[in-house]
Amino acid sequence: MRRALSNTTIADRILFFILIVVSCAGMFYSRDALSQGTDVVIEVGGKSVYATSLDANREIPVEGTHGRAIVEIRDGKIRMKEARCDNHICMKQGWITQGTIVCLPNSIVVITGGGLNKDVDAVTG
Amino acid sequence: MQLQDKYRVAILSAYALALHGFEAMLPSPIPWLRVGLANIITLTALLLFDFRTALMITLIRVILGSLFTGTFLGPSFILSLGGGVCGTCSMGIMLLMSRKLFGPVGLSLIGALFHNAAQLFLAHWLFIQRIEAVLFISPLIILIGTITGFMNGIVAEILVKNLLKKESDSLHNVAQA
Repeated sequence: MRRALSNTTIADRILFFILIVVSCAGMFYSRDALSQGTDVVIEVGGKSVYATSLDANREIPVEGTHGRAIVEIRDGKIRMKEARCDNHICMKQGWITQGTIVCLPNSIVVITGGGLNKDVDAVTG
Repeated sequence: MQLQDKYRVAILSAYALALHGFEAMLPSPIPWLRVGLANIITLTALLLFDFRTALMITLIRVILGSLFTGTFLGPSFILSLGGGVCGTCSMGIMLLMSRKLFGPVGLSLIGALFHNAAQLFLAHWLFIQRIEAVLFISPLIILIGTITGFMNGIVAEILVKNLLKKESDSLHNVAQA
């Protein structure tokens, strides 16, 4: 093992370090780049009606099955501000940055964060 | 192709297939994470013999291996074939360009890099249309590929050295007798 290690050429070692450094840097870079562009998708009855990001502060009116609900985005967080339903579970959930807010009576689902990019999977051999 | 070449390809392919099958049985923390043990045989064939032998072993290994595991012509077969051929070609071209610049470890690193690059490209082209998902996963895959490629290169180097030593020993014995 040690003899094999000492037999590596200089180019071998340079290549190894370059690859390690570049891939580690790429991991941090891609993580930063993705966390800024977090997506928000609002679905009503299973259909996507609104797609945006958490970057800009705004209030989004959503037409649910029980009337109008208001989704608010502020400082990179999102909450259900108003909804016409009985128990207001969605509003009690408060501000979130990742995950889902569900308003069952209104059939409104708000999805945000990394959960949106999960359609990746391939098995290789 | 001479008869001896056929034997050589058959034996090396059998080794590669055995490693390929063994690897498929290993538990893996992430489903698509593979060590690429069969690449040791490809690299050994490339160093001891020539590029044509190595490419043929890769093709036989990928096609027969997918038949054994039941993934022939499936998505994983396409990724495996593209990665295997691209990795072998990159190592072959690098060895053709310079025999002194890179040792087995460097060649293995290059092979692993191009193997992963080809797989990511194919995955983006055929299966995942979202470029940001592919870009997000590629540094991780290349990092893992570098580490496993490094280990494979060391094993291949030890293997090649011992095989050459054995060969010269037996030649020496024959000369003495």
